[in-house]
This record gives sequence, C-alpha cells and structure tokens, in this order.
Amino acid sequence: MLKQLMIASSTLVLAACGPVQTDSEVYQDGLVYCSEGNPEIFNPQLVTSGTTVDATSAQLYDRLLDYDAKQQQFVPALARGWQAFEQGQRYRFNLRENVQFHTTEWFTPTRTFNADDVLFSFQRWLNEQHPYHQVNGGRYPFFRSSGLIKLIEKVEKVDDYTVDFHLTQSDSSFLANLATDFAVVLSQEYAEQLLETGKPEQIDRLPIGTGPFEFELFRKDFVIRYSAHEGYWREQPEIKTLVYVITPNANKRMLKLVTGECDVIPYPLVDELSQLDQGAEIQVGSSVSPNVSFWAFNTQHPPFDNVLVRRALALAINRPAIIQTIYNGNARLATGMLPETSWAYSPVQQTYPYNPGKARELLAEAGYPNGFSMDIWAMPVQRAYNPNAQRMAELIQSDLAQVGVQANIVSYEWNTFRQRLVAGQHDSVLIGWVADNADPDNFFRPTLSCAAARSGNNRAQWCNPLFDQLLIDAITESDLDQRKHLYQAIEDFVMQQAPLVPIANSLRFQAHRGDIEGVELPPYGGINFRYARRVSDAPL
Amino acid sequence: MLRYSLRRIVLLLVTLWLLSLLIFSLNYWYPGDTLTNMTGIADTHSLAYQEAYVARGFNDGLMTQYGEFIRHLLSSDWGLSLVTQQPVFAEIKPLLGATIELGLLAMLLAMVLGIPLGVYAAAQQRGPIDRIIMGISLSAYSIPVFWLAQLFILLFAIKLGWSPISGQINPLYAIETQTGSILIDIWLSDSPFKSAAFYDALNHLWVPVIVLAMMPLTMLIRIMRNAVLDTLQQNYIKAARARGLSDSTIMLRHTLPNALQPVVRQLGLQFSVLMTNIVITEVIFNWPGLGSWLVKSIYERDFPVIQAGLLILASLILLVNVLVDLLHAWRYPQVRKEIDAE
Repeated sequence: MLKQLMIASSTLVLAACGPVQTDSEVYQDGLVYCSEGNPEIFNPQLVTSGTTVDATSAQLYDRLLDYDAKQQQFVPALARGWQAFEQGQRYRFNLRENVQFHTTEWFTPTRTFNADDVLFSFQRWLNEQHPYHQVNGGRYPFFRSSGLIKLIEKVEKVDDYTVDFHLTQSDSSFLANLATDFAVVLSQEYAEQLLETGKPEQIDRLPIGTGPFEFELFRKDFVIRYSAHEGYWREQPEIKTLVYVITPNANKRMLKLVTGECDVIPYPLVDELSQLDQGAEIQVGSSVSPNVSFWAFNTQHPPFDNVLVRRALALAINRPAIIQTIYNGNARLATGMLPETSWAYSPVQQTYPYNPGKARELLAEAGYPNGFSMDIWAMPVQRAYNPNAQRMAELIQSDLAQVGVQANIVSYEWNTFRQRLVAGQHDSVLIGWVADNADPDNFFRPTLSCAAARSGNNRAQWCNPLFDQLLIDAITESDLDQRKHLYQAIEDFVMQQAPLVPIANSLRFQAHRGDIEGVELPPYGGINFRYARRVSDAPL
Repeated sequence: MLRYSLRRIVLLLVTLWLLSLLIFSLNYWYPGDTLTNMTGIADTHSLAYQEAYVARGFNDGLMTQYGEFIRHLLSSDWGLSLVTQQPVFAEIKPLLGATIELGLLAMLLAMVLGIPLGVYAAAQQRGPIDRIIMGISLSAYSIPVFWLAQLFILLFAIKLGWSPISGQINPLYAIETQTGSILIDIWLSDSPFKSAAFYDALNHLWVPVIVLAMMPLTMLIRIMRNAVLDTLQQNYIKAARARGLSDSTIMLRHTLPNALQPVVRQLGLQFSVLMTNIVITEVIFNWPGLGSWLVKSIYERDFPVIQAGLLILASLILLVNVLVDLLHAWRYPQVRKEIDAE
C-alpha cells in the first residue's frame, strides 16, 4: 500500500506534464454519454421520467413495434407483423423467432424470445393479481394515465409465436401506445428464476432484455455501464462499451464535452449553444420535440381549488419575457397544450395574455385582495421543455410580486422531487411533458385526466369527469376533422379551468463530439445508441 | 505511557458513545417515521417493517431501542438507503477507500513539500526567499477550497487541457470497484490496459490532490518555520554551535527532530481540516467518496445514509486524532510529562 502510494506521488508530477493520454483501443469502441441524472430504476414500465427512459428503453429492451418518425409509420420490431380484427377490437401479433435475451453474470437464458415473454411483460401491469404486479412499487404510471390498462381486456397466447390483444373498445392510439418507450418486453424465464430464488425485485435492478446493449453495473451518482449484446437480433451496435456518466451540473456537462470527457451530452445550456456550434469538434443536434412546459397548480390545495385564483395567476405572468430569458429564442410561446408539430394544433391563442391589472381584479373577486403566499416548485434538472426551471421560477416570483402574491421557490433532488410531486405535496410546480407518441391524446390523458390524477402524473391533481368524457369522445372518433375539432374543445376547456398554464414548446438539443455519428434523438421517446459510432481514430 | 494511552482511549470511547447518542436521537428528530429513518424501510405496512419493529425494540421503551440500535450498528446492519434500497453498510467500503486515498495523498504531498519548505524558510529567516515562501503560503492559505478547485479546473482542465475535469478515471476502462481506491483497484484488476488505466487515474488525481493539499501544506510551512525558529533559540543549539558543529549538522541532528514535535501535534488538527475540505473537493471533482455521498444524501433526504455518513466521517476524525495524540506522546516523552504532571 505504502509503496503504491510512493509510486503514485512520484508519478503525479510526471502526469502533470503531458496532455491527456488515450488508449486508442479502449476509446475507439467506447462511448461516454454524460447523462443529467440517475435513473430511478431499470425498467421504463414503472416510470415516466425521461432520464430513466434514456437509460433503459432503447438500450436494454425492444418493443413489439417501433415508430419510425421519418416515415411517420409503425415498423415491425419484436413482432414481425400484426393485423386488426373485429373493427379494431382485437389485434393479432406474429412474433419474431430466434431473438436472444441478454446473457449476463446473473442470468443465462435457456430459450429465445416467445409469446410467454410478451404475456409476462403485459400481464405484469395489466393483472393486479400477477405475482410481479406489486414488485418495485406497482405504479405503472404511463399505462395507467394513458388508459392502456383499461383498454386492454386481455392478452392471449395463440401459439408460441402468436399473441392476441383483446381491447374493450376500438382505440386509434393503441398501436402508438405500444410503440412507446414504456411498452418494453421483459424475460419471463428470468422472472420465474427470480421468483424461485425469492428476489423478484431484482428484475428491475439487474435488468434482462433483448435490446442492443447489456446492463453491466450501476453506481448511483457516478456511472452506468453497458456492453454490446453479442447476439442482438438486429444489426450489431458498433459501440462495444457504452458508459453513462452521471453529471447533473449543466455547466460541468458542457465543459466535459469541450475537454472530450463526454462524447455526447443531453440538454446543453441554450445560452452557450451558439458558442459551441462554432467549433468543428463539437456538433449540436436538435430535433423538434413534441413537448410543452407548464406551470401546474395543485388544485387540491386551497386557494388553487378556486378557478378565479388560477386564472389570475395565469394572467399575472409575463410569458413572452420568460421565453426570451430562458430559451433564448429556442422555443415558441405555447398557444395551448399542443405544440405546432401536432396535427391537431391550431394557431388560435388558447392561453391567457399578460395582464396584471386584470389579475389583481380576479384575485380581489376571489377574496384575496391582498394576495397570499405560495410555493413554486422548480425542477432541479434541465429538461427539453425547460432548460432552467429555477430561473423561470425566479421570473415568475417577481411577476407574482407585482400582483401581491408572495412566492417561495422550492426544489429537491430530482428523484425526491418527483416522489413528492406524486404525493401531491406541492402548491404549484414548473414542469412539463414530452409526448411519447404522435397522437394528440398523449398530451392530455397522461397529464390531466382523472386516471392521471390517481397515478400522480397529473401535476395539477385535477379531476373533472366532463373533461374525461371529452377525451373519450376524441379518442373513439375516427374522423380526423372531427377529432381535430374535439381537441380544440379540449384546449378551450383547459383554458377555462386553468389547472395549468402552458408556457413554451421548445426544441430538444443534444451536443456531441465531432467524431461521433449516428446518435439518434428521436422526436418521440428516449435517446438511442444503437447506430452510434466513432468515425476516426483521433480521440481528441 | 500506559496511563496516558488509557486516558486517551477512554476519552475516545466516551466521545463515540456521545456520537452514537446524537445519531440515535437524529432518527427521532428527522421528519417522518422513526423506524423508516433508521432502517430505510419505506413501506410501513410491509412484513419487513413489522419484523424490524420487533427487532429494533419498538415494542419497548427508548432504552431498549437504543440498545438495539447499538447492537444493529455493531453487527453492521445499518439499514437500507431510502433511495436505492440497497444496504448502507455495503456501500461504505468503496467510498471510504476513495476518500482515504485522496486524503492520504494530499496529506503526503503536504508533508513532503511543507516540511522542507518550512525548514528552508526558517534557515533563510527574513531573507527574500523566506518572504516569498511565507507570502505565497499566506495567500494560498486564504483561498477557499471551493474557489481554488474551480480555478484549477479552469486553468488545468479547460485552458491547458492537462487534466480531465472530474471523476476518478475514464469510465471506459472497466476497472472493477473493490477497495474504492482507484490506484489499488487498477492494480488488483485484470484489465488488459493496466498501465494506461494507471496513467489515466493519475491524470485524474493530481488536481484534486493539489487542491486538497493546499490548506495543510501552507499550515505546515508556517508551523514548521516557527518551530524551527523556536528550536534554534534553545540553549542546546547554542551549545552545539559553541562546540563548532557545522550548520547542516545542527539543523539535521539537533534542530529538525525537536522541531517536528509541534508539527506532529498539529497533524490531528490538520486532518480534521482536511476532512472538511475533502467533502467540498469530492463534490466538485465528482469523486466517489464519503463526502460527496453525504452531501448527496442530504439533498435526497436519505436519512439512513446521512446517519452512516456522519458516523463514519466523525469516527474517522476522532480515531485519527487519538492515534496522532498517542504517536505524539510515544515519540516525545516530555509531552507525556507535561500532561501527566500532578
């Protein structure tokens, strides 16, 4: 030990002299992604957080079908094909054969993927009596808030490679929901094995999937390590070692990209973007991300149960100024919940203008002529829809002071933050939503329905049966023009009730070193490293 | 010596006991369910919670609960982290390794540079070199660690590109974490790129080590210089001079061994300062040690981890202080006489 230290200290001086030395073999086959936070768990079924999706869905797992955003159509994945029967109330999926699961230190599969795995993956969250239903929380927020839990009546195995999904009603968003990052397929054999050894909770902590990368290890706050899945059924990934370095600080993330410690970073700071784009060694990619950032009021906490108060606060904030400061021109003022990219979008203004005078009147009418004191919860991390929630909270704080409302800014570590949100401990929160699929339903049902209020994903804790009925009407309608009208009615309803104030629709950014190619930033869902590769040998 | 050692050890035990009382009480003062704070079992309806309720003596009074708390502590059952649901005790070893590695290297650097520089400054008393050394050490001492760390990152990592910004090693080297000390882990690993990994780890190490060493280094220079100057005033030095011994013999044979006495006494105190700074340094350099773990757990309100972090850091500081005291007393008998004089 002592000798080791002696060597260490003497070499310290030597190390200081040269530039960062690199071992080309290690660097050529590896990629470092500096992610913005810890995943909560390694199974996207259990969460809705983008950080967890980025770390799991596209890397570890596959879905029955994928959505190809370029061609705007569904493409086969684990299912080779599918047909709809009985006016869209039954879907039959033909499964792919010879799909290998990961072989790791903790699990060696004896069989390839088949219908049992599909059954297990869906029964786990569909069936409350399923032995795995309660494992690791049993919340399944996406399936609950998107209504998929209610929509799927049962999943039936026809033979080893054919599965039938029976739906309670025809639903135009069913395939879109199956193609999201949340509807992943797990290994039934692995689950059985864990049940026998009495450690079922490991299924989401030491994950096994069919995806292009295998999980190796996770050290909270430091790294997640993956290696390429040798027997992957699609084209092998070129990257052999994929490492996520957890770097919550946005400045540090940018600097580490500049020094070459990170190859790819999410959510670069918008202010420095232009500066970054100049150097050829760093490239900034953006995609139109279907997202909306909003300020949600907890309608269970007085005075926010009063619609007048909610409208007053919506009138009190200067959204154009916020957008100028926070997004630096990389976002558009939201005209409602739906972004411009949605086919149901309409340019009609369905939000409140900035009018502090009117806001004061409404507050007086609601019985708060002298204002009140409230909390604004601001996310501790950057999301595509909001690069700096803390700063946004400060701007809102000063706007609110103008109408006599005193706001305190509250923040917690990201996982704690979300847990407390689900528990409904907030007065109001600056957060947002990134759509998982192209259907406009995905902007409303997971965020504002009664089911979402129960699962905690409805940040306004707002439940209105009339609104839910509107959503159902819109989803069962098959005529596109009619649906568009219905979604406009829904937007109007949100504006009238003001459970939340839509603020901005922004672009999603990602920056990477010049020698990295093929890192996909799909408009829907998480980052994908399947096609990533390093172009030249030069590591720096 | 025996008497002195016993007194020190009894004092250590009493302090540890008080520390355990404080940490035990924290469970009751934190918000939320006391047993959850203690064990990390969040679901109060679960079977595990019921079992822990009985095992931790919650059917009986506070005294039993404290007894059970100590018993669980000693049998290394420190509960689960509220965030990860992993046993806390198992997480400590690699973190401790990383912290000790960083701390030891910084202390070593401080001593290797600080003692000679202090002696040299004393020998050149009031000369220009003495003034330069003392001036620099005073200004370096006045720079807070968090600022120095940022400055060094800006200079060495970003401007000059000599070192990476943070971390222990480039994560593409698949070094398995065993002891937590990255240099030892590389040595134990079977990675085919051992030497490259070793070089990379050193490249990551030198900036945080220098940042961390700065405070004890400047302190050591000043203490050493004063100690040497004091010693040079002693009669036995004059006697040695009168006997015609050379300057270097006087310095090495007679001055240095005696001048080291106050320095050794200061080491314990310096270690405490070092541990405070190591928390900040670890956070800034994303070093996977106890300090960053503790800070993170405070953000996450992860009470079992906060307790464990406090307990380990506080015990480490206490233990090192007692060890230094014992070493000091054993090496310099006159100190023992001063303390034991009745």
